[in-house]
Parts: sequence; C-alpha cells; structure tokens
Amino acid sequence: MTAREVIERIKQNQGIPWNDRSTRDTFKLGNPDTTVKGIATTMMTTFDMLKRANAAGLNMVITHEDTFWNDPDNTKDLLENPLYKLKTEFAQRNDMVVWRDHDHMHAMKPDYTVVGELRSVGIRGGEHATMRPGVLTIPETTLGEFAAQVKRSSGARAIRCVGDPKAKVSRILVGPGYATPRMLPDVDVVIGGEQQEADGGFDNVEYVLDAVSLGMAKGVIMLGHVISEQAGMEDFATWLRTFIPGIPIQFVPAEEPYW
Amino acid sequence: MNISRRRFALLAGATGVLRGAEPLTAEAAVTRIQKELGGDWPSTGPDGFKAGDPSTVVKAIATTAMATLDVLKQAVKANANLVLTYEPTFYSRADGRTPVTDDPVATAKRKFIENNALAVFRLRDHWQARKDNDMVTALGAALGWSSHRVKSDDALYEVPAATAEATVAAIRAKLNLRAGLRAVGDRKATVRRVLLFPGSMTAATMWQRYSEVDMIVAGEVREWENTHYAADMFTAGEKRALVTIGRVVSEEPGMRACADWIHTVIKEVPARWIAVGDPYWRPAS
Repeated sequence: MTAREVIERIKQNQGIPWNDRSTRDTFKLGNPDTTVKGIATTMMTTFDMLKRANAAGLNMVITHEDTFWNDPDNTKDLLENPLYKLKTEFAQRNDMVVWRDHDHMHAMKPDYTVVGELRSVGIRGGEHATMRPGVLTIPETTLGEFAAQVKRSSGARAIRCVGDPKAKVSRILVGPGYATPRMLPDVDVVIGGEQQEADGGFDNVEYVLDAVSLGMAKGVIMLGHVISEQAGMEDFATWLRTFIPGIPIQFVPAEEPYW
Repeated sequence: MNISRRRFALLAGATGVLRGAEPLTAEAAVTRIQKELGGDWPSTGPDGFKAGDPSTVVKAIATTAMATLDVLKQAVKANANLVLTYEPTFYSRADGRTPVTDDPVATAKRKFIENNALAVFRLRDHWQARKDNDMVTALGAALGWSSHRVKSDDALYEVPAATAEATVAAIRAKLNLRAGLRAVGDRKATVRRVLLFPGSMTAATMWQRYSEVDMIVAGEVREWENTHYAADMFTAGEKRALVTIGRVVSEEPGMRACADWIHTVIKEVPARWIAVGDPYWRPAS
C-alpha cells in the first residue's frame, strides 16, 4: 500500500466531509507514492521522533502537529536553513513520508487528542469526548492535590499551574494543545496544553489571578502542548489498525522538550 | 487667553513654570507621556484608557506589566490612582472594548476601579517603540548584564561563560522565578552569547537568530513552533538552549524602567512600579 492509499482510507473512515483547503492536513515530506513499510503515529514530527520511527522500520509518519516549526508548515523561508536541510535529507535518504492529521482529528467524533488528554490526566469517562467535552466533574479535592495527581498521571515535568493550591475544586474543563478553553463562571479548573499568556483571545492567567484575589476557587493547569496531545496519538494508532490491516502501526511519542 | 485645561497641563509640563498651579489630570499626564514618546496614537491600537475617568486628578502614578486586581489593590495602598499597564486589564486583546456585563470577575474589577477612582491606561506600543528600548535594556539590567551588551542597537549580550544549566539557575534567582521558567536544548552548552527577547517571540525570529547565539531568553514562544525548533537543533547536536521565562515576567523590568522614565517627564506627582511576579507554580510531586 502507498502512503496516498493509506490517506484515502483515513479520509473514508474519519467520518467527516474532507476539507481540501486545510493548510495543515497535507503531505509534508516525501513522495506520496512511496510503499509503506510501517506507520508511526505521533503528536509532533520532531527530528528525534523521525529518527526513532526510522530505526523501528516505520517509513510513514502521521503527525498531529507540524514538521517545520510553523503551524501551516510553510517552507518558503526555510529552504536555505541548515536544520531544514538536515531534517528533509534524513527523511529522503530513508524513504520516509510525513502526513499531518490535525484539523480533521479535532473535528472527528471522538477527538482522540481529548480522549487521550483526559485519560492522561486521570479523569474518567472521556472515552467518547469531542474537541469540546464540556464541564466534567471530579470528586472534590484541592487544586494543589489535583495538580499533583495530574503531574504524576501525565508525567508532565514542566507543568505550570495558576491559582490557590488550597482552593476546593471539582468542575474541570479540558482542551487540547493551543485550544486551552477560556475560564467560565461554572468552571473551577481549566486544563490545556499552552496558551498565549496575555493579550490573546482570552487571558486565563490574568483572569484566574483576579478571581483568586476575589476569593474565588479557580485554577489553570498548563500541561505543555506535547503532553496534552501525546496520548491521543496512541488511540489514533489503535483506530488506524481497524481499517489498515497487514502494515505495522506503532505510536512513537514526541518527547517532552523541557529539562 | 483662553486655553483648555488639557493644553494648560501640557504647557505646565513643557515649561515647568506653572507646575503646581493646576491639578494634573490623568488625561493631561497621558498627553504629556504621548508627546514625550512621540509617534501617532491611533484609536485602533492597543494603547489608551481602559477604565476610569480621564479627568481624575492624579495623586501618584503606578506602572506595571499587567494591571491585575492585586496590582490595583497595591496601587490604592500606595495612593496611586493612575495605573499604566503594558498588558491588558480585561483579559484579552480587546481589553474590555465590549464589556461582558455578566462576568463576576470583570464586574468586580470594574467596581474596584470605580470605587477607588482609579484610571487605567494601557501603555504598550509606544513604550516598546521608544528608541532607547527599555524593555530589553531593563531586562538585561535585572539579569546583571548591563555592561555585557554587545551593541547599542541589538539585544545581544556577551556574558561570562557558564553552562546553560548554571545560566538558567542564575536567571531563575535574579528574576525570582518559579514554574514560569522552562528551558529546552543542551543543558551542558557553554553560554556566552545571549539574545534577550522580552514578550512574545515569533518562529521566524527564532529561525533567524538562534544560530547566532548560545542562548535565547524570551518571554514566551509557541511550543509547536519555536520550542520544536530548539528541540530539533538539540537533536542535530547544536549546543544551544532556549529559555522562556513567562511573557509578563519578561516585561516587568521594562515597566520598572518606565516608572523611572515617568519621573523625568512628570515631576508633580510620584511614580512607582508594582510587580506582578511569576504567576506559575508546580506541584511538588
């Protein structure tokens, strides 16, 4: 089977009308007519991940995030960049193909990035979650205890929390990656990957600082973009196996980048 | 001669002759700041009054990286009633342009501003655009690197050689940071050349400048763009590191410098800086 044929099967099975205008969900590297020896699913095509996929004999990468360090994977300004050359030459030399599934994954029911994120942070009942899973209730605990549980469960080393660790919390709103949801009156804790800290669409950090100053029980937990969407790519691999038989399919994690 | 109150205050500031003869309004103070900083001040830009009455008579001025409710409370304690903030007051780029009336936090903040007769003005684009870029130099000074600046028109510093790890530890201590500091790349790299980038750094800037230096210290970046690039450079064997310290924290020294600068243009009332601090913490386990 070629990489192009794999993608055709994904399009048929994802269960949503295909948007050909997506700048994200396209081939990023390699020849679509390459014969696929094995498929690696990953949250982000880092250079390190690409090397591990190759070492495992997987020459097709299906990535949720970008390959060339900018959201639409524009390469116009990178053609002379030594790192760009190194990464693309590595892929070419090893007959690798990279294709991205981002927008359609988030539109899919379930959205595996959110299913994986909920499991990763230890919240039950998210097996059928969509991109906006709504407010989920956990047994009441303190923000500090909950954050510690989220850190242990997800393994996020560089987790960042805002709010009073002693605040009692139970109503949780989760979003994947950069789609960190905005804090709402009926929510205690927002969990996301990353977010512009200020001057954005909605500044959770300042809002929660002010809520705490008013004595309200509010918190934000930022997992880091990679950690927040990582686990879902394992579910994505499981899903691929249901309609792509006979080809090895493995989840190859992108590493949390921080010390 | 019939001159407006605003014009009068301007004259008073410009000549220094009539100082004290007329109370300084928030609007007059801001007009003087705008005049000193120069440039045009489009109403569509982020800068401008965000809350309070511009005709408020100024008792003292507070500058801050972000006018959180805690910062406003400290301003009131310090008797400052004109607050100049670099970042928004009302939780978004729109910054309260269309007030959400049913939000309890925003409503309480507005009420606090009203009850204490504060005026809040956003001073971002024009402060940042100032030729002496205090956002950069003040961050350099806060890190103890003032004498290490390479040239006057760039944010490059040549600092005493140390490992990336040791440099990060020094940055953490100097700026009193908690979980807001995150580092990626080669922790054993020898760091001499550092690029400072307060605020938000784009991916294009990262691609252009990372290879010139041993370390970039930025406020914030996009993790799937800049951080991804730094991680790939590490995989490629490049001995460099990217450190993000937090957008607001990176802007604090610049707004401290702003208070010092305000002293030179508004002498009638005191001006002071109010810190926000690193908002982030990390659970112990």
